[in-house]
Parts: sequence; structure tokens; C-alpha cells
Amino acid sequence: MGLTSALAAAATRRVAVLVVETPGWGRARCAVEREVRRRGWRAALCPADADVLAVCGRPGERMAAAVDLVWAQLPGPRARIHLLDPNDVAPALDDAAAELADDGRQRADAEERPHDPLMGRPAVDEDGHEDAAAGEDDEDDEDDEDDDHLGGNGDHGDMGHADMGHGDMGHGDMDMPMPGGIPLAGGGEDRDGLALDVLHVPLGPVMPHWPAGLLLHCTLSGDVVQEARVEVLGALEPAPPAADLVHGSPADRCDRAATLLALSGWEDAATGAARLRDALLTDADPADCRPVLDRLARRVSRSRSLRWSLRDLPEVRNHVLVLLASAAASIDGVPAPVSATPLTDLPARLAGRDLAAVRLLVAAAGLDVAAAARTGAVVA
Amino acid sequence: MSVVEVAVGWVPLAAVLLLAVAAAAAALDGALAARAAGRPWTAGLPVPWLETARLLRQRRRSTVAADRPLAATGRIGLLIAALLMVVVVPLGPWTLADLSVGIVWFNAMDVLVWAFVWLAGWGPNSVHALVGGYRFLAQALSYELPLMFALTAPAVAAGSLRLGDVVAEQQGLWFVVWMPVAFAVFCAGVAAFSVWGPFAAAAGPELAGGVLAESSGMDRWLVLAGRWALLAAGSAFAATAFLGGGHGPLLPAWLWTLVKTAAVLALLVLLRRRLPTVRPERLVTPAWLVVLPLVLLQLLVVSVVVVGRG
Repeated sequence: MGLTSALAAAATRRVAVLVVETPGWGRARCAVEREVRRRGWRAALCPADADVLAVCGRPGERMAAAVDLVWAQLPGPRARIHLLDPNDVAPALDDAAAELADDGRQRADAEERPHDPLMGRPAVDEDGHEDAAAGEDDEDDEDDEDDDHLGGNGDHGDMGHADMGHGDMGHGDMDMPMPGGIPLAGGGEDRDGLALDVLHVPLGPVMPHWPAGLLLHCTLSGDVVQEARVEVLGALEPAPPAADLVHGSPADRCDRAATLLALSGWEDAATGAARLRDALLTDADPADCRPVLDRLARRVSRSRSLRWSLRDLPEVRNHVLVLLASAAASIDGVPAPVSATPLTDLPARLAGRDLAAVRLLVAAAGLDVAAAARTGAVVA
Repeated sequence: MSVVEVAVGWVPLAAVLLLAVAAAAAALDGALAARAAGRPWTAGLPVPWLETARLLRQRRRSTVAADRPLAATGRIGLLIAALLMVVVVPLGPWTLADLSVGIVWFNAMDVLVWAFVWLAGWGPNSVHALVGGYRFLAQALSYELPLMFALTAPAVAAGSLRLGDVVAEQQGLWFVVWMPVAFAVFCAGVAAFSVWGPFAAAAGPELAGGVLAESSGMDRWLVLAGRWALLAAGSAFAATAFLGGGHGPLLPAWLWTLVKTAAVLALLVLLRRRLPTVRPERLVTPAWLVVLPLVLLQLLVVSVVVVGRG
């Protein structure tokens, strides 16, 4: 018993937290990330890696379903917290750590869970989503089945990673072999004219370093995204707090830079940008952040390896530099233009790029998903 | 200095030593990460132990229609490959197996890593894991040939594929002095086959963890520990083949091997914090058009010196 509790004590000193941001609750997400860093915990990259699921904001119906699916994929011991106010973060994380360390409670949780991985839910069309796709061709309808699985197949849901073999065919083709209950992938021509299997893979809405609430329906050949369709899963009414992470504010720019640096695999620079963001979000004088910001910007612009690694995606590196420079300018009171790609332009930018490049390009597009969610501008 | 084979009973100790060196490297990495996060560096030192405790408690999970035997093979394989690598690396005067083809053995083990990483990606039946596996293969196509030729340089200089002979040949002058290019390329190759640092694209955040995306608990620990163990085994090999192994003044030979291994490891860990991940598709051109010719040139220089020496 002494060993078990010692193990639990050590294990809960470094907790992996998967943060889910509902559009409009960016500040709560930043507060979680800050507290996680302060405690020496770490952010999880995927559900399999996570101990705690921290849901920021009030997710709408479909977003909540996706969050539930992610929750089912946490291996356990697991704890789930809901956050609306950035000030509640520290006590909520304390509770989560206590719940993780409680062996009896975790054992009870494990006994209640199904032993085999979930298959996801069947398609439903009561959320108005099917209307959005009405009048489109067959292929898109099949896409919609995939959406409603929300990253389906239970094996990975949310993150939308998976859906292997979740192919190009409707669920009616029962005479085809269905390993594990998943229809085999259909064929199609890829960008180079090769006949490859085609998979429909939803990216998002729950994924670290990904715009909150964004759901990208991708058609993949290998790891190349042939085409993509964008949707935004919004928050539940009443509307999110108005004084959130304002698009174009210095803190928001640092946050976006941190995301891009993290996706480029430059952990230290990403941590630096996230620390700046957190300093700018507190009441401290923004002018104090200038020297650190300038140092980070110099470090990033001088990095030859970053330039070389991103040479075929020059807009990504440019965007990081512009974000850091414009954050500095807006601290000084110089108005800096707020760049934002309309959501409708996103699919054309992503077609023909590989999955990793798509992640970088989405982060570099400067999307304002929260605004799209507020105005209900869900696009097909 | 001649190298003698020790009894099989020492194998468990070698395994513990490898894991201890790997854990020390992970602790250094944790300390540097803690400092970057604005915390005292000492707070990051216990990271490998805390992460191990966390993963020991965590449940394993599976995915729909996963290929479990292949996934398990891939996950456990990295650690096994690292253990098999150190079998031929002498610790000062002792070695577990002084194979006459020791260098080829090491090379064969690092090629096995291709299969293991790919299987770990294939097994879970998940897009991100599979894409990660394929990205590793793309990276492997870039690093493997330069790595092989870099390995050839010490063999040519010593006129033997036996690591004991390679160490003996470095009496007085370490190979790194006259084959620096081969040494640098070999170190980069070690980071690359360890799926680590700038070469961690197969398990990077842009793929939600890639080959690691679906593993938890002990499955995950095996992959993470396997990566650090591969890095440690590669560093030990670099210390032996290029830095003179047990040769050195004052300290006993076994300690010299450890000190040199730790130095190479620390250098890799320090360097890693300054570098972003290299996208595998960017790696192919410089690897084949710049690095490979440079290594061949290095090999030519070494061969000419050996022939000239008679």
C-alpha cells in the first residue's frame, strides 16, 4: 500500500493536461496553460497522453459530443474539469490532482467503463448541419456521415485522427469486408495522378495547437489532403464573455506565435512566446515585456534552421515574424493591421498539402474562429 | 589496450547502466526545459522518474481494429535494439561480445529501428500514427546512407570491424581529430534513428504525437525509454569509435568511456533546445547532395592516409 501511494504521489507531480477551448474562452485556456507550466506539469498532445481533460467554456451540443468522445479515450487514471473563469483554474487543477491520486475512485471509474474501444455514434442530422450540406453532391453527403462520427470510430474521435478505412463509401455497402466494423477505404486519384486509397478524416475540433472549435473535414490520399471543408462548432448560449483574448491584441499575437513555434517543434521558443502572452494578460505593464519580446523576435528571425526547415512554407515563418513584430508595435501603441484569412478561403490553401503542412498553414492563417462562431458564420 | 569479453552474467548490469545513462540524459533535458519555463532547473531533474511513475499507473489502451502484435513489436523493439547495440560497445577494458563484425552489428541494429518505428505507427490503425511511421521512413532514407559511410571511416582506419581493434588503434590519437566530418554525421545519425530532437518529426506535435499518438501506459513508456536508450547507445558508440573509448589519463578506462558518452549525450541535449524540428521532406536534398559527398570525401581522406601509412 505504501508503494501504491508513493507511486500515485510521484505520478501526480507531473500531470499531462489536454486543454479544450470552446470558441470565446481563450483566456481560460491561457490561464490553464500558465498554471500547468507553473506547476511543472505539461500539456498533452493527444487523448492517449492525457490525465486531465480541462474543458474551457460552455461547448455547444456538437462540440460537447466531441469532448465526450475524447473523454472516453483518456486511458485513465483520468479527471475532467470545467472552467469558465480564468481565476478558478488553480483550485480546479488541485481537485483534478486529488482525483487522480484517489486510487479507489479511479478503480471505480475504470470498472464502469466499457473494456473495448468505442465505435463512435451513428450519423444524426438533428443539429441543422445536414441542411448546410443540402443540395450538394453525393460525395459531400458521405462526408457528412463522417462528421457526425466526429472523428468517429471511438478509437480516436475528437482528434479526428484515425478513421482509418473510414472510406469513400456509404454505410450501405454491407457486402464489402468491414474489419472491426469499419468499411474499407475507397480508391481515388491523388494530386500526382496515382490511384490511392481515399480516407475522410476530420481534424479537430479538439486538438492542441489548433483553432478552438474548428472542424476541418479532410479527404486524404496517403498523408496528402486532397480537399477540405471547414465548419465551426460553437459555444452554448448565452454567448461567451466579451472581454476574452481579443483577436489582434498583443497577447493574442504572442499566443499565435507560440502555437506556430510549438508546431515547428521549437519547444523553447514556444515556451518563451507563451510566457510573454501570460505576462501580457496579467496586469503588469506591457512595456516591461518589450525587451523580452525583442529578444525572442531576434532569436526566431536569426534561426537558420527554422528558415531552412520552413523554406517550402515561407508564409509560416513570415507569419511568426510578423506576429512578434506587430505585438511589439501594438504594445508601443502603433496600430498594427489584424490579418485574418476568411474561413471560406482556407480549403483552397490546404488542398494538395501534407497533414503536417496543413497544421502549420492553419495556424499561420490567423483565423478568427471565435468571431465566426459568434456570428454563426458556419461555412461549408 | 586490449578488450576482453566478460561473462554473460554481466548482461543485466549493462542493461541497467544503459537505462541509467538514458535517464540522466532525460533528466538534463527536463532541467533545461524547466529553466526555459521560468522554473528552477532542479525542478526539472526528476522528470524521467515522475513520467515513469505516471505511465506505470496509467492504463494501456487500444483502438478499433488495431494490429496488436505488430504494434507491440514496434513499441518494445526500440529498447531491444538499443540493448543489442551496447552488446558490442566496450566499457573500458570489458565488453559483452567482441564480435569480429561489431560495427556491422551496430549498423544492423539501427536499420532494425526502421521496422520498429514503422510498426509502432502501423499497429494502432490510426491516421496520425501511420503518417508518423511513414514520415520516419522518409527521414530514414535521408540519414541512413551518410550514417553507414560515417561508420565505415573508423573501420577503414583500424583495418577491422571489431570495436576492440578500433579502440586499440586510437592509442595516442582519437579518430575524431582526423575524421571530424564522419563524427558529426554519425552524431546527427544517432539523433535521427532515435526519432529525437530535430529529427523527431515522426512523433511531433504537428501530428498530435505521430507514432506515439495512440499509446499509453507501459506501451508509451517503452517507446519513450527506447528513444532515450537509443540516443545513449549511439552516444556510447560515438565515444568508442571516434573519441578513443577507454583511452585517457588518470581515470580508469571504464570511467573514461562513461565520461565521453555523457559528453556526447549532453552536447546533443544542449543542441536540441536551440533547434526546431526538421521537416523530413526538407532533409532529402541536403542529405544526398551535400552530406553524402562530404562523408565520402572524408572516407577518401581516411583511406589515403591508411594506404600512405603503409
